[in-house]
Amino acid sequence: MTDTTIHAALSSAVADVLERMFFLEVLGEAAEPPPEAETVTVHLSFDGDSPGCFRMRIARPAVKVVAADFLGEDPESLTDRQSTEVTLELANMICGAVLSRIESSATFRLGTPQIETGDTGKHGSAEETRYTVDTGNGTLTVAIQMETRTCSPTEKYAS
Amino acid sequence: MAYRVLITDDSPAMRSFVRRVIELSGFELSACFEAGDGAEALAVLQNEWVDAILTDINMPGVDGEELLRRLSADESLRGIPAIVISTDATENRIARLLALGARGYVTKPFRPEALRAELERTLGVPSD
Repeated sequence: MTDTTIHAALSSAVADVLERMFFLEVLGEAAEPPPEAETVTVHLSFDGDSPGCFRMRIARPAVKVVAADFLGEDPESLTDRQSTEVTLELANMICGAVLSRIESSATFRLGTPQIETGDTGKHGSAEETRYTVDTGNGTLTVAIQMETRTCSPTEKYAS
Repeated sequence: MAYRVLITDDSPAMRSFVRRVIELSGFELSACFEAGDGAEALAVLQNEWVDAILTDINMPGVDGEELLRRLSADESLRGIPAIVISTDATENRIARLLALGARGYVTKPFRPEALRAELERTLGVPSD
């Protein structure tokens, strides 16, 4: 599988998920934010024919906006818990959409998305394929690493 | 006609979203129940009658596949159509779930009208 194929799957999955489930139109590819930027990072592992890890890093201002769009609520009325739940669901949906695009006849099982804390959430791996998009309220970066296991094997499986 | 629907998903945000898009799509609900996994869904079904079940697959506890098995095994519940809502759009998974008794399948991400269309198809509602 080529890096180009994976990059195209990331790009298409992000646009589809944001448009259909969050009613947001992406503004195009963007530069990845610096490590010190205020972001939230989610990771999840997946098993199956091509196991691996998925990461999503989203700017804090964008978190409130996507959560509000998803839940149909005013951004100011959202609790941190609601924002977190939606951010985890966003990562879950993008990862599933990417994997379904990469190989439609494959079988995979997604792990539970988890928020990364500290510096671990700010640095990607050189082996990841990454894609960053401008949401209009900050950037969203997704990255996928396939056929290697660096995520916790103890994660429970859930969607 | 308005329908009674049970939404099963371990994500409260997703349950809220599904309920909202069903309403936004114009599909008429007379009641909407929620469950966090298959066990909770079966508990709801002990007391409430529903026209359709919308269920996620990967959930802690009793997952969607096991829920479909238990629905099929129960004479009083097997007639309730279950529609799977999942991020997994792979052919193998869809075929497996339909074989387990799912009557419909909606892949995330989906548009509100796609969910409505699948509900109407599954319930045999004539199109407008």
